Amino acid sequence: MDEKYAIEIDHVTRVYKRDEFEVRALDDVTLKVPEARFVAIMGPSGSGKTTMLNLIAGIDHATSGRVAVGGEEITSMRERDLAAWRARHIGLVFQFYNLIPVLTAFENVELPLLLTHLRKAERRQHVETALKVVGLADRMDHYPRQLSGGQEQRVAIARAIVTDPTIVVADEPTGDLDAKSAEEILNLLTELNRQFHKTIVMVTHDPRAERYVDTVYRLDKGILAGIERGKSAAQPAAAGASA
Amino acid sequence: MKFTMLVLKNLLRSKRRTFLTVFSIAVSLFIFSALVSFPTLAREILADRASSLRLAVHNKAGVTYSMPEAYKQRIAATPHVIAVVPESWFGGIYHEVNDQFPNLAVDPDQVDLMWDDWGISKAAFEDFKRLRTACLVSDGTMKRFGLHVGQQIQLRGTFYPFNVTLNIVGVMNDKAPPNFLFFRRDYLEEAAGRPGFVSMFWVRADKSENIPQIIASIDEQFANSMAETRSESEAAFMGTFAQGYRAFFELAEILGLIVVLTIGLVAANTAAMSIRERRSEIAIMRSIGFRSGTILGLLLGESLIIGLSGGILGCASAYVILKVFAVGSPAIGISSLRMPPIVVVEALAAACLIGLLSAWFPARSAARQNIVDALRLVA
Repeated sequence: MDEKYAIEIDHVTRVYKRDEFEVRALDDVTLKVPEARFVAIMGPSGSGKTTMLNLIAGIDHATSGRVAVGGEEITSMRERDLAAWRARHIGLVFQFYNLIPVLTAFENVELPLLLTHLRKAERRQHVETALKVVGLADRMDHYPRQLSGGQEQRVAIARAIVTDPTIVVADEPTGDLDAKSAEEILNLLTELNRQFHKTIVMVTHDPRAERYVDTVYRLDKGILAGIERGKSAAQPAAAGASA
Repeated sequence: MKFTMLVLKNLLRSKRRTFLTVFSIAVSLFIFSALVSFPTLAREILADRASSLRLAVHNKAGVTYSMPEAYKQRIAATPHVIAVVPESWFGGIYHEVNDQFPNLAVDPDQVDLMWDDWGISKAAFEDFKRLRTACLVSDGTMKRFGLHVGQQIQLRGTFYPFNVTLNIVGVMNDKAPPNFLFFRRDYLEEAAGRPGFVSMFWVRADKSENIPQIIASIDEQFANSMAETRSESEAAFMGTFAQGYRAFFELAEILGLIVVLTIGLVAANTAAMSIRERRSEIAIMRSIGFRSGTILGLLLGESLIIGLSGGILGCASAYVILKVFAVGSPAIGISSLRMPPIVVVEALAAACLIGLLSAWFPARSAARQNIVDALRLVA
């Protein structure tokens, strides 16, 4: 049976210009991530992990090559269309949570739904469900400053999943958390993957993450250096990936 | 509507800053509205007189020079003239030296023809013609001194060495200058020993298109006489008085604009600071799917609310202050002082412009910023 791919990266190169210097953040990378997988992109600082994540999330453009997410090629999309595409297909989680400080947990989670045609009552229902999934139904009216780091990251995850996106991309989601909170977040992401079959792509330095993911893509100096099976026993190793 | 909550929450993010910005815009637009009201009102009054069929005939040497009353018959015989009313300045005071207002003596026989647009009742005109001590008083002066029709008042002469005792028979409405008092010239002439001179003549034309012809005829008649005349339309005559205030009016308008521009720059700086602080949040919003245009709209919306709030507050304050000032100061002829509607429109438009332009450049830049670069700022 043919396997469907959530993400297809085909000979992608990303070159940044920093003053007179050119930085080759990704160099001719090719890989495929099957649907409903929880994968990690790991590597040392400056290896191109975040660049790859940004390309998958459609917030950056490849210098050359092709990126397709959920079967849709996003490389050639105009900025306006890309914004609408992100709203529909991508849930983003950041290292520093990046919640809007003047909005409550409820309002932060509701933010992506403001871009949909849902009515107020429907939005409320979706937000409550998302906050329940992350275990913060009782913190809806709290402002970010009234939450712990772990709780803030849970709210950020609720914000990422509230629109039921095709893919959740997480950039160092445990990077700013203590060990206990980091474990909780990794468990939560695993649960989202197992229960709701969300494809999750996570950039991380955290070696504990290997225990939770199906596949680890290792980048080094912008090149895909290896693909390893994660220590999670629940799923087989990623198929179809190639460097 | 669904973004309203977002806009309001962001507006209240720094309550002190929002309040101070609104307040500074309010103060600037208060000053603008108050200052610009004076020249605008003066222009409105002049424009109002532009359609008048009245002409003023005064001494060519200046309005302070007198003319023989005998000119009346010759002016009345000029083609297209339907009424002539000689007028003499009395310059009396009511009780105190401060209680001054223009009090003028006029011939009673054609006052109803001359000032039929000043809301004076037929009965008042009849009483004015019948009673030698009758006087007609403007609404502003009536209110200022708490006078009423039927009341007897005395004006103390300052230029003339005698007083006049007058009976109020009627009131002139707001079409008339707000502080005038007319009494009969025959009373003044008798008391003054019949000097036979007047300050000026009011002339009524039959049609507006004949006014230039009448002006030419009158001035030609009295050319090379002992008192040459200068005739002009009522609007032009009033404009001569307004001319004296022209520099003040221009200064008022320039000052008003400078204040608005200055506050506009301050507001722009505040908006730039506020938006710069939120660049990373804006990048987050864009990364979750908000379009640049939506972000720009939200930021401009915030700024527009601030500008408009300041504008409404400033306009309302100016409106109240001018109203209070007008009630308290009819002495200088400004009992009809108010904020003309056009000034309200201009002030609110200026408020909207301050709001939109102050935020336009930082908002546009933030809405178009590279998401990846902005997110890097967070890290």
